[in-house]
Amino acid sequence: MEEAVSALPLADPGMPVEIGRIDKELGKLWESSGDTKTRASLINLVVYTENADGLAADHEVLSAVAARHACRAILIHGNPRAATSAARAWITAHCHIANKGSRQICSEQITFQLDGEAAFALPNIVFSHLDSDLPLCLWWKGNFPEPLDEKLWAWVDRVVFDSASWDRPAHQFAIIRHISTGQKHQTVLCDLNWTRLHAWRFALASLFDHASAFPHLSSVASVRLEAGPDGRTAAHLLLGWLASRLGWTISGEEGFFETSGGARVAFSIAPDSVPALSGIVIECPEASFDLHLSKNGDFFESLIRMPGLEPSRQVLPAPRTRPEDTLLAELSRAGRHPLYTESLERVLPLIGH
Amino acid sequence: MLMDTPRSNPLREGLALRSIPDPCTLVIFGATGDLTHRKLIPALYNLAADGALPPAISVVGFARRDKTDELFRSELEEAARKFSRQPIRDELWSSFAASVFYHRSAFDNLDGYTALARRLDELDAARGTCGNRLFYLAAGPDQFEVILENLRKSGLNQARGGSWTRVIVEKPFGTDLPSARKLNDLVQEAFDESETFRIDHYLGKETAQNIMVMRFANALFEAMWNSRYIDHVQITASEPLGVEGRAGYYDKSGALRDMVQNHLLQLLCLTAMEPPAGLDADSIRDEKVKVLRSLRPLAGAGVFRHVVRAQYGAGSINGKRVAAYRDELNVNPESATETYVAMEVNVDNWRWAGVPFFIRVGKRLPKAGTEIAVHFKSVPPVLFRATGESIDDNVLVIRIQPDEGISLRMSAKMPGSSLRIEPVKMDFHYGTSFGKATPEAYERLLLDAMCGDATLFARRDEVEEAWKFVDAIHAAWATRQDDLAFYSAGSWGPGEADELIKRHDAAWRRL
Repeated sequence: MEEAVSALPLADPGMPVEIGRIDKELGKLWESSGDTKTRASLINLVVYTENADGLAADHEVLSAVAARHACRAILIHGNPRAATSAARAWITAHCHIANKGSRQICSEQITFQLDGEAAFALPNIVFSHLDSDLPLCLWWKGNFPEPLDEKLWAWVDRVVFDSASWDRPAHQFAIIRHISTGQKHQTVLCDLNWTRLHAWRFALASLFDHASAFPHLSSVASVRLEAGPDGRTAAHLLLGWLASRLGWTISGEEGFFETSGGARVAFSIAPDSVPALSGIVIECPEASFDLHLSKNGDFFESLIRMPGLEPSRQVLPAPRTRPEDTLLAELSRAGRHPLYTESLERVLPLIGH
Repeated sequence: MLMDTPRSNPLREGLALRSIPDPCTLVIFGATGDLTHRKLIPALYNLAADGALPPAISVVGFARRDKTDELFRSELEEAARKFSRQPIRDELWSSFAASVFYHRSAFDNLDGYTALARRLDELDAARGTCGNRLFYLAAGPDQFEVILENLRKSGLNQARGGSWTRVIVEKPFGTDLPSARKLNDLVQEAFDESETFRIDHYLGKETAQNIMVMRFANALFEAMWNSRYIDHVQITASEPLGVEGRAGYYDKSGALRDMVQNHLLQLLCLTAMEPPAGLDADSIRDEKVKVLRSLRPLAGAGVFRHVVRAQYGAGSINGKRVAAYRDELNVNPESATETYVAMEVNVDNWRWAGVPFFIRVGKRLPKAGTEIAVHFKSVPPVLFRATGESIDDNVLVIRIQPDEGISLRMSAKMPGSSLRIEPVKMDFHYGTSFGKATPEAYERLLLDAMCGDATLFARRDEVEEAWKFVDAIHAAWATRQDDLAFYSAGSWGPGEADELIKRHDAAWRRL
């Protein structure tokens, strides 16, 4: 059903401005602040969402991100189902006091409401309001549309998405593979689901740093993950990472990988009472490696059992799961994520359509 | 059939840009001292909180006082809560503190080292630290000799069966060239140069590390980084503090030994060095040594022409009256120790011929700040002569601390119908663009030493070349005392320093 032009579901998006006058109005905004505010920007961070209910939270995330990773933020709420076509804009600044001194550091935000046909003018809206010479990072919230707008993706340096939020992961993964390989200038894929796994991979790797530990990786018998419904894609990605690092491929037999030497490694993802990924146990003939999130989710608790050594327990830092922390972690990591692509390829057939 | 047994942890591949330290035991000599409490333990905790420490690590504090592991841990916790850049999280602290132990012994008691060796073996067996040992000399420099000697006599310096041993030596590395050579010989009787890590914490600071990136990753700067475009360079380290309880050490040392020989000459090297062949430790240190060897020696009368030494008198800092240096507690009332040095240094090579480097360091100056200011040459005074406008030179400032960042002063036309030219400043602040807190220098340096990466540590020849340069100045100073100038606390130093730089038609920067 078509909707009329919608109100922007945001309490205080800033000062309304004509779209053609955004740059001038931003200039005035900074001029009026005198010397009390310093404008800073490292990237263009564009957030596109069609979810009106989440817009206020997205605004908060941008505010938190701007305090730690200066950016020109562009928040776009698309409502292509609206009956009337309209494009409206607001400008505001996110300011925080610098660590040392009393100066306010500010990043600017432009918020757009694109209704009806105007929602299809997204590339133009993005292109005409970028801070020049800075990289473009586009956080696409929700499912990717089809067909993809090639003009838009050709300009994006980094596309951020969260595969945990997809309802048809296999189909969406196929689309993002097209985004990453279809352009002359290859877009970097940044899956926040993968970013959250960084702490898991880091902690898991650290269990095998000991000279007497990593040889057991050549004789893994089974891998058991524990994950609730929201953590299944993450569990698959973690499994894919292990498989890619250890040279395992999916076996013809369900529930097993095959090593390069022909041995079988059993794997399972056990449902868990908590929604997300909560633990992993790697069993070897003579050792076991257990990594679980603590009950409050703040820490990992690890337990290593190896012959000749007392069971070793350790507490390790766990991932921060607030959206702004995950996004900041992603933004602070430069370069491509080749491990992500490799890991995904290993387990793509296991991820449900 | 199983996959081949890996020779390293395959799960680490592609995970981190930097290498992960091996399991090891860190032994801190001087474990009850200020450095351990204020810097080392907070740094180790922060590394643990970032998950950057090896999975099996033990920290053993070695000191004279009698205390249990539990008491030692609780004292360290108190200090960590006060000085850590990240708040202490109880679960992480408990996990970290379980790896901390205390070993009581006097530094000159060989039996204490033999007992330490036994204890380290026990820890290796129980905690899987694999016999890798990093000894940190955080005690007073007068204790280095006896500690190194006993490490050697007890065999603790010897790596066994694929393990490693390393030593971190805190500054000062001697008090002059002979004592530095003696200390270096002592260190090398026990440890190879590749196992020796001489800490200069300035090198662990983010901005100091950024000097190379700024110079060699930006064509804009490197193309102009020579005598054709640069008029002179000013390197300043100023602090409002006095001797603050360090009078015993400082009165013997003075600003030249305390700051110039190590920190400021290191900054000069990073500013003046040629591009290294690679980013490995020796390629970089080779280039720094070349700079030190290119310094035009200052000796005899030349010292009095190119170097100003001064001492602060009474004055005021931040509105409070402060005493003269000679009236500070534990300072000789007739002391001739310099609390301020200003000097003109020349790097005699092709790149820097005719470009003076002015170095200025002092206590009880109005403001805290360390920076390198590169002053570019003036544009030809032709085009704007008729307007009567004076044009300020471009200045590139690299701020090391506080408020780390880079600024560039350039000229711009003021808005209006007449042609008026004013200097404007383009400013990059680390804290503004990158909101996250930068790691403390000791975090980076401890981690590097555990990984065996000596890039940010001083090599023996660097230390000795720096002493050679500084000793010649001291030798000249020893011949007379009437050149010691005085300045009021809270001022920017003596008039003689202003005269020194004025000879080059320049003036000291206002920080």
